[in-house]
Amino acid sequence: MIHVQGLTKTYRGRAVVDGISFEAGRGEIVGFLGPNGAGKSTTMRILAGFLLPTSGKAEIAGHDVVEQSLEARRHLGYMPEDVPLYPEMRVEEYLRYRAGIKGVTKALLKGSLDTNMERCGVADVRHKLIGTLSKGYRQRIGLADALIHDPAILILDEPTNGLDPNQIRSVREIIRSLGGNHTILLSTHILAEVEAICERVIILDQGRIKASGEPSKLARRLERGARITVEVRGPAEAMARILGAIDGVKKIAPESLGDDWTRFVMDIQGLADPREEIFRTVTREQWRLRHLSMEAATLEEIFAGLTTAPEEGWN
Amino acid sequence: MRRFLILLQRELAAFFYSPMAYLVLAMVMGLNGVAFRFATALMDGHVQPQSLVSLTFNSFWFRMIFFFLFPLLTMRLFAEERKMGTFETLMTAPIRISEVVLSKYLACLIFYCVLWIPCIGNFILFEMITGSGNAFPAGALVSVAFLLLLLGAFNIALGCLASALSRNQIVAAVAAGTLVMLHFFLGFLAGFAKVSPEVLERVVYFSSMDHINLFSQGLIDSRPVVYYLSATAFLLTLTHQAIEQRRWGI
Repeated sequence: MIHVQGLTKTYRGRAVVDGISFEAGRGEIVGFLGPNGAGKSTTMRILAGFLLPTSGKAEIAGHDVVEQSLEARRHLGYMPEDVPLYPEMRVEEYLRYRAGIKGVTKALLKGSLDTNMERCGVADVRHKLIGTLSKGYRQRIGLADALIHDPAILILDEPTNGLDPNQIRSVREIIRSLGGNHTILLSTHILAEVEAICERVIILDQGRIKASGEPSKLARRLERGARITVEVRGPAEAMARILGAIDGVKKIAPESLGDDWTRFVMDIQGLADPREEIFRTVTREQWRLRHLSMEAATLEEIFAGLTTAPEEGWN
Repeated sequence: MRRFLILLQRELAAFFYSPMAYLVLAMVMGLNGVAFRFATALMDGHVQPQSLVSLTFNSFWFRMIFFFLFPLLTMRLFAEERKMGTFETLMTAPIRISEVVLSKYLACLIFYCVLWIPCIGNFILFEMITGSGNAFPAGALVSVAFLLLLLGAFNIALGCLASALSRNQIVAAVAAGTLVMLHFFLGFLAGFAKVSPEVLERVVYFSSMDHINLFSQGLIDSRPVVYYLSATAFLLTLTHQAIEQRRWGI
C-alpha cells in the first residue's frame, strides 16, 4: 500500500531524508522511530503530498505522490504533528467541512460523521468550539478528520505527542483497533509506543534507515547489549582480570562495596551468555558469590546507541 | 464544483468568525459616510463643475478607505493558515492549489462587494430624502461601481500574493498596503519624477487615481478594463506559483 524507493529530500544542500526505501502492506501498522530531526516528519509530508521529494519515488495505494498527487491524497488520511485545526469552528462543523473537501458524498456524510465521531470519542463535544477543547480532544478530532473519507492508508505524525497517560492509552487503542483494515504509518520518539502498537518498526536517524523489523525480533537481535551484574568476594584486582578474560565479556567495570565485596558490571558481546562460565570461574577460584543477574538492554539504550554511534551494518 | 463551493463557503464564513470583518465593515461605512457628507457640503451653496459622484470618489476620505481596506482584507488569507499550520491539513486534502487560491480570492472579492453596498445606498438614500430626481448622474454611479469591482479584483489579487509570500500577517499587510498605494499614485508620483511627457503619458495608463477620475465622470474606458483583468489573472498565477514553490521547501 505504501511503497517508497530511494526517497531523498534536500534543504539547502543538506539531505534531511537521505535515500530511504521501505514498504508497508495492507493492514500493517508500521512505526517510524527516531530522534527529533531524524526526517520522520519530512518523509510523512512527502507521502502526504505537502512537500515534493528532491529525488526518489513514493507511491500511495499505487499512485505516485508527485505525478498523481490528487489520487494519492484521496486514499490517504494524514494527521500532521501538533494537529492544526481551526479554533473558531465547531467540531461537527469542522469535520463536515473536511469531509466535503475530501469528496465524501452527501449520502454518506451523515453516517461517516457519526461513525468517526463515535469511534474517536468526540461525539460528546460535537457542538463545542474547537478552540475551547483540551489537547486530547483536539488530537482525536485530528484523527477523526484523517478517517472521515474512509482512506485505506493513514499517516499519523506523533499521534500521542503532548497527551497525558490516559489520553495516550485511548488514542493508542483507537489506532490499534484501526489496524487490519487500514495500513497505518505512525511516527513517534517514544519506544514503548512502538512496542505497544506497531507490527513493524523502522528506526530513522539523520535521514537514513538504521534498522527495521518486528519490535520483538529487533529487541532479541539487540540483546548484544545485555549486561551482567555479579557481586563477588575476593581479591579485587585478580577478580577483575580473570572475569574480564571470560569469553563474551566486552567490558568490565568494578565497584567496591566494602568488606572485600566487589560488584562487577559486564557488557556482553552479541548473543553470548557467559553466566555459567562466570559461576564456574568463581567456584574454581574459591571466591564467594552472592548475586548474579543478566538484563537485556532496554530499547532505549539500543536506540541511543544506534542513533548516536556511527552507522553499523544493520539491515 | 461541490468541493469548490464548500471551500468558498468556509472562506466566506472565516471573515465573520473574526471581529475583523465587522471592524472593516464599520470602518468602511463610517469613512464612506464622511466622504459623502464632505461631497454634499462642497456642493452646498456653491456651484461645482463636478458631480456628487465625482466629488465623493475623488476625495481624500475615499482614498483612506482604499489604502486600509485591501491589506486588512487580504493579510490573513494565506499567512494565517501557514502560521497556524492549518495550511498543511488543507493542502493534504485532495484539492488543487488553484481551487484553494480561487476560493480564497473569490470569498474576499464577494466580501469586498458587500462592503460597498452602504456606499451606493448613500446616494439612493440622499435622493429619497431630498426628493430631487437628479441629485447625481446615475450613469456615473454605475460606471464608478464597475470600476470599484475592477479595482477590487486587481488589488485583492495583489494582497493575495503578498499573503502567500509571508507567514507573518503584519508583513503581508505592510507589503500589500505599500504596493496598493504605490500603484494608486503611480501617475501622481511620475509627475514628480523628471520623466519625459511620453513616458508620463504611458504611466498614467496604469494609475488608479486617473481611472477613478475618468470613470466617476461616467466614462467607461476599455483600456483599464483590459489592464485590470489581465493583471489580476497574472497576480493570481503568481500566487499559485508562490504556493507551488513552497512544496519544494526553502
